[in-house]
Amino acid sequence: MTPLVEFRAVSKHFGGIHAVDGVSCSLHEGEVVGLLGHNGAGKSTLIKVLAGVFPPDAGEIVVRGEARSFESPAEAREAGIETIYQTLALAENLDAPANLFLGRELLTPWRTLDADRMEHEALGVISRLNPVFRDMKKPVRAMSGGQRQTVAIARALYFNARILIMDEPCAALGPAESRMVLDTIRRLKAEGIGIFLISHDMGDVFEVCDRVTVMKNGAVVDTVRVADVTEEDVLAMIILGEKRRK
Amino acid sequence: MRGWLEEAGFDPRFTSLVVALALIWAALAFATDGIFLTPRNLYNLSIQTCVTAIMSCGMVYLIVARQIDLSVGSQIAFTGMVIAFVQTEWLGAEAPFAWVASIAIGIAAGMVLGAFQGWWTAYRGLPAFLVTLAGYLMFRGAAFLVADGQTLAPLSTAYQRIGGGIGGSIGTAWSWALGALACAGVIAQAVYARRSRARYNAAMAPVWADALKAGVTCAALLAFVAVVCAYPEPGAAGGAPEGKGIGIPVLILAAVAVVLAIVARRTRFGRHVFAYGGNPEAAFLSGLRTKRVVLALFVLMGALSALAAVITTSRLNSGTHSIGQMAELYVIAATVIGGTSFAGGIGTIPGALVGALMIQSLDNGMVLMDVSSAYRQIFIGLILIAAVWLDAIYTRRIAR
Amino acid sequence: MKSHTKQFAAALIALAAAAFPPAALAWGEIVGVSWSNFQEERWKRDEVAMRAALGAAGARYIAADAQGSNEKQLADVEALITKGAKALIILAQDANAVRPAVARAKEAGIPVIAYDRLIEDPDVLYLTFDNVEVGRLQARAVLAVKPRGNYVFIKGSPTDPNADLLNAGQREVLKPALDRGDIRIVGEQYTEGWAPEVAQRNMEQILTKNGNKVDAVIASNDGTAGGVVAALRAQNMAGIPVSGQDGDIAALKRIAKGEQTVTVWKDARALGRAAGGFAAKLAEGAKVADIKDAKPWSGGPKKVTMRSVFLTPIAVTRDNLDVVIDAGWASRAQICSGVDRAKAPAACK
Repeated sequence: MTPLVEFRAVSKHFGGIHAVDGVSCSLHEGEVVGLLGHNGAGKSTLIKVLAGVFPPDAGEIVVRGEARSFESPAEAREAGIETIYQTLALAENLDAPANLFLGRELLTPWRTLDADRMEHEALGVISRLNPVFRDMKKPVRAMSGGQRQTVAIARALYFNARILIMDEPCAALGPAESRMVLDTIRRLKAEGIGIFLISHDMGDVFEVCDRVTVMKNGAVVDTVRVADVTEEDVLAMIILGEKRRK
Repeated sequence: MRGWLEEAGFDPRFTSLVVALALIWAALAFATDGIFLTPRNLYNLSIQTCVTAIMSCGMVYLIVARQIDLSVGSQIAFTGMVIAFVQTEWLGAEAPFAWVASIAIGIAAGMVLGAFQGWWTAYRGLPAFLVTLAGYLMFRGAAFLVADGQTLAPLSTAYQRIGGGIGGSIGTAWSWALGALACAGVIAQAVYARRSRARYNAAMAPVWADALKAGVTCAALLAFVAVVCAYPEPGAAGGAPEGKGIGIPVLILAAVAVVLAIVARRTRFGRHVFAYGGNPEAAFLSGLRTKRVVLALFVLMGALSALAAVITTSRLNSGTHSIGQMAELYVIAATVIGGTSFAGGIGTIPGALVGALMIQSLDNGMVLMDVSSAYRQIFIGLILIAAVWLDAIYTRRIAR
Repeated sequence: MKSHTKQFAAALIALAAAAFPPAALAWGEIVGVSWSNFQEERWKRDEVAMRAALGAAGARYIAADAQGSNEKQLADVEALITKGAKALIILAQDANAVRPAVARAKEAGIPVIAYDRLIEDPDVLYLTFDNVEVGRLQARAVLAVKPRGNYVFIKGSPTDPNADLLNAGQREVLKPALDRGDIRIVGEQYTEGWAPEVAQRNMEQILTKNGNKVDAVIASNDGTAGGVVAALRAQNMAGIPVSGQDGDIAALKRIAKGEQTVTVWKDARALGRAAGGFAAKLAEGAKVADIKDAKPWSGGPKKVTMRSVFLTPIAVTRDNLDVVIDAGWASRAQICSGVDRAKAPAACK
């Protein structure tokens, strides 16, 4: 089966630092691949390359069998790649619909913002994720961590992302909200969406991921199937940077 | 009280601003034995406010986008001199349409100044504060050089009407027509907004609240028209002089304010400006062309400074290189008093207009009271501090 | 179409070159000039005349522009001394803030000429047009046209000591009429930065306050007079007596049209010439006390006795417009353009 996304020996450096060094890994439809590693292992940089924030210095990115290079975040989005950043990339002064449609606003025939339609659409997708979140006029700064996460996920969903990148989605959430996010991930998996998930929580990783790719110092240590390993194995890979001994 | 206002769809900050303005007006009317509220003085006040108000519309956008422009006063001076130069030295003041050409060239010159500053800020990443501080010095120097420091006068006779002086207003008939049109516009907009929300079964403010807002706005518009129509054209020959009506600078301000308010709230560009001001990184990651947006804002400011120069030079019937001194301070003060925050992402055009009106009312009223310039400056400075302090309290309340 | 573009370009280059010391005019003693704010309209003419006079006397000219800053003026004066100036001409930004600079010059044994603006120091040569006399001429010309009625003072910048000297002269002339009750002052305001738009706004308010019952306006310079006339025109009152100062072309045009009564003309070239001449002598070793034309004067706020040379200003009204035309200050074409033949002054016919 052709992978949805394939990184082939991708490298990215900043000055003398090799943030990403010859990384190869892949993601298939309906699959969740965990990206694990210490801080500075290169996970965030790798996903930013996929998200179009910077182009790779070496190697290629293959999306649905086609080599692609993204000049901007907008181009990546057009290819069906949506990213949920750790900082969520939300404008605090705007409300949920404004953030959801940021850069892709719906217009009336007179080229003005169709605020009411955007509110209606946003309400639709957000209330499916979280039925009690109905106040679409609240600015983001007045929202809880979970609500903000919901807006960010809703943004990815509304635009029919087939490839989703999630960077530490549960890091700032309480247990109930985390549960909601994990349930959402499972649902999306079932719909055939491929997800790269960066997380440091082993419990979450083992619950939803199919495979994990462990990185250290910019390079891939190994990619293994979750079913084949234990949490200790993975931890060892992260800390020691060595492949699992069978 | 605030919660109730918000439920009903009123902006509590704007409401408190208007109340403050009303209190200031009442105090000034009392202190000047009512002269402050005469049609003549209110007409003059409306003209005097236009220069600052037009520029603060542009400054709202800049400060919302976390930028600033300290050079607007110098921009007025330079573009004003260019306009006067085109009329008096190049085309000849009375040449047909010389004044039209001069305005077009002046606005183009302002946009060039804005583009210059915008390019260094947006594409070279220099802080706007420093770039526009340099502009403040450079454009003032350039203004001097246009005519070697001389005053260029007189300007075209047709051009003089733009300043709101003799023949510079549209008369009673047109004023009432425009007032009625504006009212109709306000009501139509309110009705359309309700219909649009009803289509999606969305929650709406109660009918009485929308009716009250539309009603108050309409009443204010028509009251303004009535006041300016009650001021007879000075020295009109023979018979009962006709009322002056709305001054042309006010029409220019109205056009600018309406367009920019619509752009801010109802267009993609406006939404992107606010998003950038709220979180520049998020804006970039959402694919917004942030550099082009910032450049456009400085160019807009340049064009508005040129418009302000048109009104100033027309009022003075001359181009001097010393006009616009301290304008940047008053414009920024008006914008901030009107609720625009230096943190970015928050600000409104109507607020800035009320802020400009507030500052100008104080200056206007205090001269009527024969207060000396030193005391006037102290007083206006204190009001500015009070306004920013109240704004800080208000923002802290929201955060809680 | 005039070659303003060339002038523009030349001026831009000149502005850039002003950052560096100007080229020497001739070999000889160096005279340093500290300008307070070269950007103001009139000083260019002063400079041209000064340099010509210095050149004729065989002295060299170096200069600095303080751009309106007291601190910079101090630094400028020190720089001029370091560069070897043997005499200094100082146009003070602020009469008191400049005293340390004058003290430095005295320490170095360098004589100082206070140019146009007062620096109260017993060793300084004060060269100016008599600013109080300017005020007197302004008030006299207006009083002659309107001996009774309501008067308004539109004064100069509150931070410029000249503004008060002018006002003192104006009040001196008006005093008898004020005491008799023939004249009442119904409005009085300073004008920040001498800015015309400020003068216009203030005048609008004063007219409103008095219901247009204003008969004459004593404006302290032509820029503010322009603002006053603009405010009067908007009330269809242009033509009441208004005074001014500086001999701006725009003001001379207004006088020809009858919208302004008088502008007190100080031939800046005469002042610059005198300063250049005196400075050259001082640079060659003469003492301030030796300057023959200087007389003792103690009319300043601190009543310090100074050796002073006062040049006489000239009141220019519609009756003697040819004075400025003959002196080459402005041309008949410039002044008389657009003037109605029937109402034209003698000089325009």
